[in-house]
Amino acid sequence: MKKLYSNKLVILSLVLPGLVLFLFAILAPICLSVYYGFTDYSGMGSYNMIGLENYKTLLQDPTLRIALRNSLYLALGFIFIQHPLALITAAVLDKLGGRGENFFRCVYFIPNVISVAVIAYLWKFIYNPDFGLLNNIIKAFGGKGDINWFSTDTAIWAVLIVLIWHGFGWGMLIYYTGIKNIDPVLYEAAAIDGANQTTTFLKITLPLMKPVIQVNVTMAVISALKQMETVYLLTNGGPGNSTQFTANYLYQQAFKAFKYGYGNAIGVIFIIICLLATVILNKIFEDREETKLKKLEKARAKGAAV
Amino acid sequence: MWRQKEDSSSASDDGKVTLKVFSNLPDRKNGQGLVEQTIIDEYMKENPDVNIEVEALDEEAYKTKFKAYSMEGMPDVVSIWGQPAFLDEVVEAGVLAELNSDDYADYGFVEGSLNGYTYDGKLYGLPRNTDIGVFYYNQKMFEDNGWKVPETYDELLALAEDIKAEGIIPVAMDGGDGWPLACYLADVLYKLVGSDYSQIVSDAIESGDFSAPEIKEATQLMKDAADAGLFQNGYDSQDYATSQNLFTNGQAAMWYMGSWETSMATNEDIDESIRTNIRVFTMPTVEGGKAAATDISAWNGGGYAVSANSEVKEEAIKFLNYMYQPEKLSKYGWENGVGLSAQDQSEYMTGDETELQKQIVDLLANSTDLSGNPINDCGPSAFKTSIESEIQSVTNGTSSIDDFLSTIGASCK
Repeated sequence: MKKLYSNKLVILSLVLPGLVLFLFAILAPICLSVYYGFTDYSGMGSYNMIGLENYKTLLQDPTLRIALRNSLYLALGFIFIQHPLALITAAVLDKLGGRGENFFRCVYFIPNVISVAVIAYLWKFIYNPDFGLLNNIIKAFGGKGDINWFSTDTAIWAVLIVLIWHGFGWGMLIYYTGIKNIDPVLYEAAAIDGANQTTTFLKITLPLMKPVIQVNVTMAVISALKQMETVYLLTNGGPGNSTQFTANYLYQQAFKAFKYGYGNAIGVIFIIICLLATVILNKIFEDREETKLKKLEKARAKGAAV
Repeated sequence: MWRQKEDSSSASDDGKVTLKVFSNLPDRKNGQGLVEQTIIDEYMKENPDVNIEVEALDEEAYKTKFKAYSMEGMPDVVSIWGQPAFLDEVVEAGVLAELNSDDYADYGFVEGSLNGYTYDGKLYGLPRNTDIGVFYYNQKMFEDNGWKVPETYDELLALAEDIKAEGIIPVAMDGGDGWPLACYLADVLYKLVGSDYSQIVSDAIESGDFSAPEIKEATQLMKDAADAGLFQNGYDSQDYATSQNLFTNGQAAMWYMGSWETSMATNEDIDESIRTNIRVFTMPTVEGGKAAATDISAWNGGGYAVSANSEVKEEAIKFLNYMYQPEKLSKYGWENGVGLSAQDQSEYMTGDETELQKQIVDLLANSTDLSGNPINDCGPSAFKTSIESEIQSVTNGTSSIDDFLSTIGASCK
C-alpha cells in the first residue's frame, strides 16, 4: 500500500479528477469572466474591447453599493443574531436529552429541508399586507393590521428575517455536532468543581467550540455575499433596488438587461470581495486559534489532573 | 421549466426533415400553448416526412436560453417579441432570417401590426397577438355599490375613494414585476399626448432625455393614483398571481392587466359569480389630454421567427406560413379564447363568445387609434430593466420624479 501511494502516477491519477474539475468548472470560467468583463458583449453577436469602462461604471453604480450594504447587513445578522441563537439552542438541546432532544433537533432543521421556492412563497403569504398571517395576528390583537412589510424602508429587514430563520437550523446542527464532540469528562469535572450551567457554557462549551464557530462564521459571511435564490423569489431586489443583492444584480444585468460584459465585471468584483472576505476572516481567526489550542491543552491537562 | 419532445426517436430516419421549435409556451394543454401544439400536430399529420421537436420554457428561462442558443445555433422556429427591447439586440446579432413581406399580403394582418417586427425596412418575424391594456372590473360589485365606470382620470381617482370606503381594494396591481406599472405609465402618457406618443417615447430613448413635460406629467398622474390609494397596500412587491387573486377572489374591484387574460371568463377555478361578471374598460381620458376615449393602448407583443442559420430554412418558413394561415393561429386562438390575434378574426365569431370576449373585440373594432408598444419595450433591454425597477421607487415615493426620469434616461446611453 505504502509503495502504491509513493508512485507519482498513482498520486496524479488520484488528484487529477479534482484538479480537472477545478480547472474547467472554476478557474476557466473565472478567466472567461475577467476577459468578458473588459468587453461590451451583449451575450449575442460581436463585441468590442472597452478596457476598464465597465469597472469605472461599476464603481459609481449606486445599486452595487446597496447590494453590498445589504450583504453586510445579512452577514452581521447571521453573526450577531442567527449564530448566537443557534449556538445557545444547540447547547440547550444537548442538555435536553432523550426524545425531546431528537424531536426539537428535527423541528429546528425543517426549514432547511424545505425547498427555497416553497420558503419564499410561504413568507410572501405571511407578509402579504391584505391577507397575510402577520397582519391578521396584529388584527386579532386589536391592531389595525395594515402594515406593508415589503415597503422600501422595511423590505430589507423582512428579507433578513426570512434568511436568518431559514439558515438557523443548519448553523444549529453544526454547533450541535460540535458540542456532542466535547469530552463529557470536562463537564463532569466542572460539575465536581461546583460550576453552574452558565459557567460551564461560557468556560467550557464556548472556548472548545471556537473551531466550529470559525467555520460557521466564515460560511455565514460567504453565504451572505452569495445570497441569490431566496431574494430572487421573494422580492427580486424590489421595491426599487431596496433588497438587491450582488448575485441577483449580476443576474439581472447579464441576462435581463443584455449587458453580459457588465455582468461579468460584477462577477469579477464579486469574486475579489468573496476572496478578500475569506482571507480577512482567516486572518482574524488564525491568531486566536493558536492561543485557543494552548488553552485547550491547559483545559485538558486540568481535566486530567482532576 | 418544462420540456416536451415529440417523437425525437424517429428524427434521424432517412428522408425525414426534423424541425426544431423553441417556444415560450410551456403549458401545452391550455390556452396559447394548446393552440400552438394543435397546429404542430396537424402539420406533422399533413406532412408525414416532417418531424417537429418542441422545446418550451417559460418566459424568463426562455429568454436566457435564447441567448445561449444564439451562440451555439438556434432552433429552426422560435418565439420572439416584436419590441426593440428584445428584437434590436437579436437582429443585430444576425440570428433571425429575413422574411419576404410580400408573402403575407393575404394573411389579414391588422394594419401596423408588422411594424414591431420590421428592422431597417426588413421583416424578421410575425406577430401572434394583439394586446390591449385594460382595467378588468367586477360588474356585479360595481352595480351593487352604485359605482360607475369612470370616464375621466379624475373620476377614476374619485371612484377609488368610494371603493376604499367599502373596505375593498380599488385596483389590484402587479407592481412587483414593474412592467404592468410601465404599461400603466405608457397608457396615461398616451392619453395625454395621443398619436404623438411613439414619437415622444422614441425621441426620449434616442437622446436619453426624459425631461419632456408630457412624460413628467404622466409620471405625476401615475404617482397621484398610487398616492390616492388606487392600488392595494404593498402593490410594489406583489406579483402577477397575487394581484390576479385579489381580483378573482373579490377582494379588489379592478385589475389592471392586458387583454390576454380574457380567458378568465371561462376559467372554472374562478368562482362563477365573479367569472361571469368580469368586464373591461380602458384607461379613461385625462383632462387636457389629446387622446379620445376610443384611442386605446394596444400593441403586438409575442410572435414567431425563423433562425437565420437553420439548415432547413425553407421547411421552417413553410411551417411558419402554415401556422399563420388565418384559419390556424387566428381561428384556433379565437376558439380557445386566448385573446386577440394580430390578424382579422371577425369571421370566426360564433355568437357563443363570452361577454368579456365580445367586449374586447368591440374595443378594438371601435378604436380610433392604437398606441403601439408600452414604453418599457421601446428601448434597449438595459432601459427595460432600469425602468421596470425604478418605476417602483417613483410610484411609492422613494425617489423623486426628476431622479426617476434621469435614471431611466441614463440607462439608454
